Amino acid sequence: MKDIFFNLSVRSVRLNFMRSILASIGIVIGVVAISSMGMLGTNMQLQVKDQLSSGADTIVISADAIRMGPTGSSSSSASSATGITKTQLNKIKLAAGTTNKLVPVYSTNTQFTLAATPGRSTVYGLNPDDITKFLTISNGTNIAGINDALVGSTFATNFNLKIGNRIRIGKETDASRPVLRIVGILAPRGMSSDNVNTDNAIIVSDDWYTNQYGGKDIYRQVNVIVKDINTIPDVETAIDEKLNTDKKTPVVRISDASSRLSGITSSLSSITTFILAIGGISLLVAATSIFNVMMMSVNERIQEIGILLSIGTEKGEVRRMFLYEAVILGILGAGIGGIGSLIIGYSVVSYMIGTTKYFFLPASIMYIPMGMAIGLVVCILSGLYPAWKASNMDPIDALRSE
Amino acid sequence: MIDTPLIRFADVSKVYHLESGDFTALDHISLDIQDNEFVAIMGPSGSGKSTMMNQLGILDVPTSGELFISGRDVAKITALERTHMRRDTIGYIFQNFYLIPLLSAYENVEYPLILKYKKRDESGKATAMLKAVGFDEAMSAHRPTQLSGGQQQRVAIARALVNDPKILLCDEPTGNLDRKTGFQIMDILCGLHSEGKTVIIVTHDPKIAEYADRIITLEDGRIAA
Repeated sequence: MKDIFFNLSVRSVRLNFMRSILASIGIVIGVVAISSMGMLGTNMQLQVKDQLSSGADTIVISADAIRMGPTGSSSSSASSATGITKTQLNKIKLAAGTTNKLVPVYSTNTQFTLAATPGRSTVYGLNPDDITKFLTISNGTNIAGINDALVGSTFATNFNLKIGNRIRIGKETDASRPVLRIVGILAPRGMSSDNVNTDNAIIVSDDWYTNQYGGKDIYRQVNVIVKDINTIPDVETAIDEKLNTDKKTPVVRISDASSRLSGITSSLSSITTFILAIGGISLLVAATSIFNVMMMSVNERIQEIGILLSIGTEKGEVRRMFLYEAVILGILGAGIGGIGSLIIGYSVVSYMIGTTKYFFLPASIMYIPMGMAIGLVVCILSGLYPAWKASNMDPIDALRSE
Repeated sequence: MIDTPLIRFADVSKVYHLESGDFTALDHISLDIQDNEFVAIMGPSGSGKSTMMNQLGILDVPTSGELFISGRDVAKITALERTHMRRDTIGYIFQNFYLIPLLSAYENVEYPLILKYKKRDESGKATAMLKAVGFDEAMSAHRPTQLSGGQQQRVAIARALVNDPKILLCDEPTGNLDRKTGFQIMDILCGLHSEGKTVIIVTHDPKIAEYADRIITLEDGRIAA
C-alpha cells in the first residue's frame, strides 16, 4: 500500500489485534441483527404479497361497515344493514360493463357434523355458473343438484373427505339438519385478496344457501373480476360514482388487491421498521465500543502524535490516519457481519417463514449490503471525535506525555 | 546592504498563564543567529532553554515581540504554513530520538519526504541519507525498538536532514547516549555544519558546548551571556 498513513493504521490495528477484534464483534452483531431482521420482515411481506396475488384482478364491493347494523336487527333497513341489495347489484353491473364478470357472494359461518365429528366452517353461497369463473375444482365436478357441495382442499384433508361423503349442516340440537353431498374438492387458494377463502370452507349453491339461511338477494359481497387489470381504477371510479352518490356517507366499500396489499404490507413494514430499530440499538452499543477503542488508541499514541505533528505532519493527515483505523475496524466488522448475516438470516427466515424462496430476491438480500454499509458508517462516525482530538493536540504537550 | 539574519528574536517574551499566576519563560529576548552558525544554548533547568527551542522549532509562538525565521514572522503566518515550515526549514533532533515506533528505520527517514511530496520516495534520498549515517539495507528494515540508542539517534539525524533543512535544532542530542557514541554524533553534527547547515544545540554538557562557535547562556528567561 502506497499511503503511509494507511500503513500506520493497519500496523496499529495489528498491534492491538485482540482489542480490535473484540470491538469489531459489536459491529458484527449489529450488522447481523439489522440484516437478519430486515430480511425476515421483507420475506414476510413477499410471502403475503404472493399469497394475495391470486385475487389481483378482482374488485370487492361490500356494504359500508358504518352503515351495517347487527345481523337480524330490525331497526336497520335490509338494503343497508346486511349487504349488497339486488338494486345495488344491478347498478354495479351497469358500472362494471359487459366485459367484466360479476360474482355475487353469500357467506356465513356454520356448525356441521361429519359422521360423528362436529366442526365449524365458513359456508359460501355461489351461483354454480360463477364458481368456475374464479375457482378451480381439482377433484370431482361442479355443483349440479340442490344438495351438492364443494369443499376446500384443507377442509378435505383435515376430515379425510372423499367425493360422495356427506356433511350434516347445523347444530346437533337443531330440529332440521340438512345433508350436503360432496361432489368436488377445490384446488388450494391460500389467503386470497378477494375475501373468498375457500381452503377451509364449504361451497353451496346460492339457492340452497337462501333456502337455508334466507336473505335472498342480499349479498355479503359482490366480486367484479376484470378482464384487464389496468382498468381496475376506472371500474372502481364508475362503481363509486354510481353507488356512493353521497360522498359523506358512502353506501358501499370498494377495495381491490392493491389497497388490501398496501394495508397489510404497511402493517408488516411497521413491524419490520420496529425490529430494525431493535437491531439498530445493538449497533449503538457497537458504536460506543468502537469509540472507546479509538479513544484508547489515541490516548496510547499521544507521544507518537506529538512526533508526527512536530516534524511537519498536517492536522488533516493525523485525522486521516485515525479515520483509516476506524474504517479498518468497520470493514472487519461489516465483512464478518455480512457473511454472518447470510448464514444467520437464511436460518432465521427458513425457521420463521418456512420457506427461503424469497431470500435471494433483491428486495430481501439487499439488507446485507445495507447492514454492512450502516455498520461501516457507524464505525466512521465513532472515529470522528477521536481523530479530531488527535489532530488538534498541542505538539509540545503531546511530546511531553509519557 | 543589511545582512538579514536566518533567525531573529526581537524582544520576544513567552508568558504561561498558570493557576498559580503568570510564569515568564522568556523575558524580552533579542537575539540574531546567522546562516551557517553553530550555536549552543546552555542554562540551568527552568532557564527557558526548552521554551526557546519550542519557539525555534515553530511549535509555539511568542506572547509578545517578533520571531523571524527565514525572514518570516512566525506569529503572522497560518498554522498550516507553520506546519510546512517545520517540515521544510527545520530538522529536529531530540534527546529521546522520537522515532515513529510503528515504522522501520527506512520508513522513519522516508516519512518527511512523503509529507513534502505526498508520495513514496523513489529518488533514493532516504536510502542515501541512511547510508551517510552508517546504515545498510538490512539495518534500515529494523523497527526503532530493535536499534541501540546510538543507532536510533543516527536514524533521527537522517530523518531531520532528508528534506535538506536550513536549520538543525538539537535538543540534548547526546543526553541519552554513552560518551563515545555522543562524540560520534557530535562529529556528524560538526560535519553538517561544515557543509553549510545552521546548527543550534541545547545542552547541559560544557564539553558538547565547546563544539559550538557561540554559546548563549540563559538564566530566568533572559540571556545571561
